[in-house]
Amino acid sequence: MFRLLIFLFGFLAFITSTNAIYAEDVINDDRVTLLLSEVDDLWRGESSYAVTSMQVKTEHYTRTMRMEGWSKGKEKTLFKIIEPLREKGTATLKSGNHIYTYLPKTDRTIKLTTGMMMGAWMGSHLTNDDLVKEARLEEDYDATISFEGERDGQNIIEFTLVPKLDAAVVWGKLTLTILAESHIPVVEHYFDEDFVLARTISFSEIKSLGGRERPTVLRVVPADKPDEYTEFVYEQLELNIEVSDRLFTLSSLKKR
Amino acid sequence: MNFAKLAARNVYRNSHRSLVTVAAMAFACAMMIVFSSLMEGVIAGSERNVVAMNTGDIQIHQQMYRDDPDIYKMIETSTQLSENIRQAGFFAAERLFTFGLMASDDSSSGVQLRGVDLSYESTVTEIYQHILQGNWLENGDTHGVVIGKKLARLLDVSLGDELIFVGQTADGYMANDSFRVRGILKSIASDIDSASVFMSNGMLRELISLPEQGAHQIVIMRSDRKQDLAEATKKIKMLVKQDLEVMSWRQLMPVISRFLETAQVQTLIMLLFTYIAVASVVLNAMLMSVFERIHEFGIMKAIGVSPWQIIRLVYAETLIQTVVASILGLILGISLSWYLQQYGLDMTSLADGMTFAGIALDPVWHAELSVNSSLVPIGFLFVMAAIAVLYPAVKVALMRPLEAIHHQ
Amino acid sequence: MNLNVLAWRNLWRHKRRTLITASSIAFGVLLAVTFTGAGDYFYTRMIDAGANMGMGHITLAAPDFNRAPSSKKYLQQSEQLQQQITHMADVKSSMARIQGQAMFASAHKSIGGMFFAVDPEQENADNNLFIKAMVEGGMPATVSDKTVVLGVDLARKLKLTMGKKVVYTTTDKQGDIVSAIARVGGLFQTGSNEIDGAVALLPLHSVQKVLGYQQDEVSVIAVILHDQRHSHQLRDEMQMMSSFSHTEVLNWQQTQPDLAGMIAVDKSSNYISQLLIALLVAAGILNTMLMSVLERKREFGVMMALGLSPQRLFLLVMLESFWLAVLGLIIGTIVTIPWYLFMSQTGIDMSAAYGDGFSFGGVLLDTVFKIRLFEESVMAILIGLFTLALLSGAYPAWRAGQVPPVESLKTI
Repeated sequence: MFRLLIFLFGFLAFITSTNAIYAEDVINDDRVTLLLSEVDDLWRGESSYAVTSMQVKTEHYTRTMRMEGWSKGKEKTLFKIIEPLREKGTATLKSGNHIYTYLPKTDRTIKLTTGMMMGAWMGSHLTNDDLVKEARLEEDYDATISFEGERDGQNIIEFTLVPKLDAAVVWGKLTLTILAESHIPVVEHYFDEDFVLARTISFSEIKSLGGRERPTVLRVVPADKPDEYTEFVYEQLELNIEVSDRLFTLSSLKKR
Repeated sequence: MNFAKLAARNVYRNSHRSLVTVAAMAFACAMMIVFSSLMEGVIAGSERNVVAMNTGDIQIHQQMYRDDPDIYKMIETSTQLSENIRQAGFFAAERLFTFGLMASDDSSSGVQLRGVDLSYESTVTEIYQHILQGNWLENGDTHGVVIGKKLARLLDVSLGDELIFVGQTADGYMANDSFRVRGILKSIASDIDSASVFMSNGMLRELISLPEQGAHQIVIMRSDRKQDLAEATKKIKMLVKQDLEVMSWRQLMPVISRFLETAQVQTLIMLLFTYIAVASVVLNAMLMSVFERIHEFGIMKAIGVSPWQIIRLVYAETLIQTVVASILGLILGISLSWYLQQYGLDMTSLADGMTFAGIALDPVWHAELSVNSSLVPIGFLFVMAAIAVLYPAVKVALMRPLEAIHHQ
Repeated sequence: MNLNVLAWRNLWRHKRRTLITASSIAFGVLLAVTFTGAGDYFYTRMIDAGANMGMGHITLAAPDFNRAPSSKKYLQQSEQLQQQITHMADVKSSMARIQGQAMFASAHKSIGGMFFAVDPEQENADNNLFIKAMVEGGMPATVSDKTVVLGVDLARKLKLTMGKKVVYTTTDKQGDIVSAIARVGGLFQTGSNEIDGAVALLPLHSVQKVLGYQQDEVSVIAVILHDQRHSHQLRDEMQMMSSFSHTEVLNWQQTQPDLAGMIAVDKSSNYISQLLIALLVAAGILNTMLMSVLERKREFGVMMALGLSPQRLFLLVMLESFWLAVLGLIIGTIVTIPWYLFMSQTGIDMSAAYGDGFSFGGVLLDTVFKIRLFEESVMAILIGLFTLALLSGAYPAWRAGQVPPVESLKTI
């Protein structure tokens, strides 16, 4: 999930810094590739600090959680839960391919194993798999612009991303719709191999955050249970901060 | 003509031969009693392992729970329902389940947590006695768990070691707590041995924030073991009234059910073979006994004894020998079976863990004496002897007196 | 005086009795052949099936892998090891494999299970149960393919069909989580829900890449033998060899203790049953011989009075037992041969009674009841019954020589 955030931040950072040069032109393979790869490259090497809250609504419960997170480059991320009290201090560290979770109640750090992969991450609609996967848009997908123009009263560009043959992703296709002028993402659809919609991520509440305009609310809705959702709200965001490598170690998991 | 006296005297006259015949029959009879009892014991043991160790006679679930186990599919009125079932003369206990990850110092594994009602579980299953090491769960012990044998090995833990559980609560949070191993179970079934962790219902409710009322499963036992299972199931269904799934263990585990049925057939086949072997001994003995007295039978016929009476005489002699043999066989068979029932036949040197169709078999075989296992072999013996002696009896009865007298 | 001829003729003086006793011996042969043959066939099949399910008759593994499998434990220089193994006598084939736990994910669901990474060239329907149970598609074409063969229930739960992709996630050499993709190239159905719902086959090299293994690093080398009865000896030999000293060489009883236990128990009960029946047959022979001796007391008295020594008399009766035994065995063999031929070729289909998906000690049961005898078993049966018959005749033979001539002549 966090890499999803990182990707989004990076993507936004790039497109808002350059100009809407591409707004008018039609499908150009090189342009798309360049765009996506620059996005991927951009958030690598960045560091960030963010405070987010997450609300999950399912058939059986509604819960809210607030957490802070740090990232350095692509490899290192750390986030800790601030609220609610009963989960405060729970922390997850991702360093390369190692993922560890510290559980304050039992004062234990466990390494993520395949056995845990099945579970939803923190009870949300994202899986631990989403957390682990390092799908790089350019590496894993072939992208084209499938639509440019007006839709629902907005000028948008729609990308269709088809996973490459060898990419370790379960999806059959992704479509990403961004606003034509600001290049802020509007919605992302995930389809299975039969091109049946599996889940939708929508972006809203565009605000100024971390020095730029970006959507502060992300909502994940599963296609088979449209009444359920997982919503992330970004309260705070700082990019390119000073953060030492020592933060991303097992010992720092337990502190604070 | 007094058959009984004549028959008895004839038997006594050929004491040697009678002795061998009786001995052979008694031995076979005793052997079959022991074999039947042993088989019954093993089959009952397997059934017990299935039923009394885990499944119970009847189970109630919410519809679709078994297809897709989900902590939200609860029987909400389980406490009241269980009480009603107990009033109706059965034993009942509530259970809770969930899945998650259990981690020890060295490794972790996916497990199923099984919550049991400490007050009532012992009335429906014998699992609390099936402990290999340590103890069963105790009231008031808020962090003790009992795990399967293979799981203990996989996680490399022994009594007193700590285990950490990670899972998800009913309200979407992370379920996380540490527990201590209080006991390790003997083999029950492959899935239980390798992935089950037992704790009290209260502990599980707290761990995953389940509501105060409700259970995933109600296990029911007949208080009278002789009561017909199908009937009992129907009775429970009527008590339940709501749209819940009520199934007997035979419906829940058709493969095991079938196996146990075929096992009984196997016993009968063994009986048959053994008795065919006995039959040849009896046949031979009776043949000889009859034919060496053919001169005598010839004279009897000459003085007017009818063929029918001759047959009756021969049968009477056989009957006496069979009766004596049965008594001896019964005594020998029952005492040996009783011994095996108490002490069992220890097969552990051969096999530490044995499974058939996923169910663990107890490596110590206990015989189970029953009316069936002692009387069926005896019945068979009589039938066998009667058949074996038919040929000689009829042959000599129909012989012409003159031929018989001159027969050498 | 030719005792042999005399003995033989004595037997035929009481045709009926001789035939009946010989028949009981023959019946003993039939039963022994059936029980032992059923056992021989059944156990071998189960052992071979178990071997084909993954670990082979003999397994070469990294130390402690058997107790707690993990990708961190692996064999090195597998190609060299395999070379050596193939040259050993009695080895039919050897397969290098990787096995592990993985999460299989489609767009709709994730399910945990286990995988076997195999080399399609080394595996075939003979040594791999899953290939034999293939119902659609087939094995990967090459060892570095990106296809996977799933159990039918696993595919169904993931809502996948042929050609669709699966992402599998597992832990690599260092214990880190890794994922890779594969497309469904085949489906197998063994009949056991547990297996069909949780097992997948992958190509060896592809998995090696994913796990970070070298091309000659694998989890186990499964060795299939021509004759499973040699597994013990061969295992001991192999463990002694220096090239295998850093590995653990296990035989099927150690890798499949449940199966081993069941077979041991079944075998014992089989033996006990046969012993009991043999005792009964012996009793019958004893009875017959004893009677025949006791009724010829007068005759023997005459013979001894004429100068036949008690030893010769003993020998005479023993010869009668001997010929009786031979007769019984011949009749037994004649009767048993057609039965054996039928049972070893066609057998009896017990599936009506047992149905599908039955497991014996963890291995799927084959429901056709057949028999088959090893040469040693045949010899054992024949010699056993023969000895038994002779022994049964010993007491009567001894009794024969005991009666003093004068006493016996007294009886009319």
